Amino acid sequence: MNRLAIDLHNVHKSFRRTKVLRGMSLKVERGRTFAFLGRNGSGKTTTIRMLLGLLNQDLGAVRVLDHDPAFEPLAVRASVGYLAEDQTMYGWMRAGEILRFMAPFYPTWDHDLALKYARDFEVPMQTKIKHLSKGQNVRLGLVLALAHRPELVILDDPALGLDPIMRKQFNRDLITHLQGEGRTVFYSSHLLYEVESVADEVAILDDGQILRQSGTEELRADVKQIILNHNAVSTLTDSAKVLDQRPDADDMAVVVVGAESAIEHLRNEGVQHRVVDLNLDEIFEAYVMGQGSDPSPEPAPEMIPTEA
Amino acid sequence: MLLRIEKGSAVPISRQIGGQIAMLCASGKLPPGERLPSVRELARELAVNQNTILRVYERLVSDGLLEMRHGQGTYVSLSAQNHSLAVHRQYLLEEIRQLARQGISLGLSSDQLHELLSEALQQLAVSNEEEAKI
Repeated sequence: MNRLAIDLHNVHKSFRRTKVLRGMSLKVERGRTFAFLGRNGSGKTTTIRMLLGLLNQDLGAVRVLDHDPAFEPLAVRASVGYLAEDQTMYGWMRAGEILRFMAPFYPTWDHDLALKYARDFEVPMQTKIKHLSKGQNVRLGLVLALAHRPELVILDDPALGLDPIMRKQFNRDLITHLQGEGRTVFYSSHLLYEVESVADEVAILDDGQILRQSGTEELRADVKQIILNHNAVSTLTDSAKVLDQRPDADDMAVVVVGAESAIEHLRNEGVQHRVVDLNLDEIFEAYVMGQGSDPSPEPAPEMIPTEA
Repeated sequence: MLLRIEKGSAVPISRQIGGQIAMLCASGKLPPGERLPSVRELARELAVNQNTILRVYERLVSDGLLEMRHGQGTYVSLSAQNHSLAVHRQYLLEEIRQLARQGISLGLSSDQLHELLSEALQQLAVSNEEEAKI
């Protein structure tokens, strides 16, 4: 058995002339909780639909639990639980009815578990789906995604419609029911501060490419902001990969990758500096806004407000 | 054991949890020999990844604050208070350094900074006295 639950290699996908994915590669080990981060329109949902065999790639390789979803979509879906971003269910059914309706599609469906989740998530069983609130709708979708005890759970922005209490409850369920049982969870999100406490690993997707894949804690240790005098910036930029830099009076605030060795370098060179820890939001912003690509500093004068 | 996690903080969650447990050991609220919640229990309670909790426990074990007894769980070590003082000295020094930096950038002298620290200590002593009276 492959130790990877998901393996994407150099995947390209275009819709007419719009390139959505351009050479995306991603590996998710079994048993990990993996957060897939990206702005709206960065290609998250396209990737997820590809994992389920709902879309085919133009180029590249997609493996999900040792299957190719394009050729064996049923094998994939039998062992994957999926919650779509805009999960639509038959509005005329009652919540209890859709649970019974879904059961025969999955050989491993555990109806007692479905009822337990429905209770835990406070889904009213007698209410018609079209009358459920947005939060209840998401939670019902989750019940449907989890009740066949899937090995891999793919959730497209599950926290979107949930209030803070339900989000915490959801995280808790994810930790006890999924992480605790060694299952792989792959979920996309915008709520970075929610992701940090739960995810083993994160990937930042932007403009159809993965800018960074890393353990959550390692990422925070690796990417830091260093504040130092204008004149000393080159000592830093010559030795470390720079994601973002902005002036701060006489100083420059520089976000670097490889913070540990960069700091050591500055110390060896005797350069005065200050290190600022960044939260996940700030790291994400540095990658996406700075594009994380061009290490040669190109100060953008139009970015500095000039009005007196 | 009551821990509080600040989401979105620049302080990583593992360090928040580790710091708070060290604080509880130092203050004696977690006395030596006390059993800590299991990794699973604490992960569930805080809604935090189990691996994160495990790493925190492992680090505190290597710092000498906690000990893992095989098959029994995690306990506050008997010499925790000595160790936690050493661990805390590090945290405190860092905080004080930040404050000192702020003071220096405001143009305060070393004497003025010392004066401020004495004043803060005095205020604490007074408020402690008042508490004692109640």
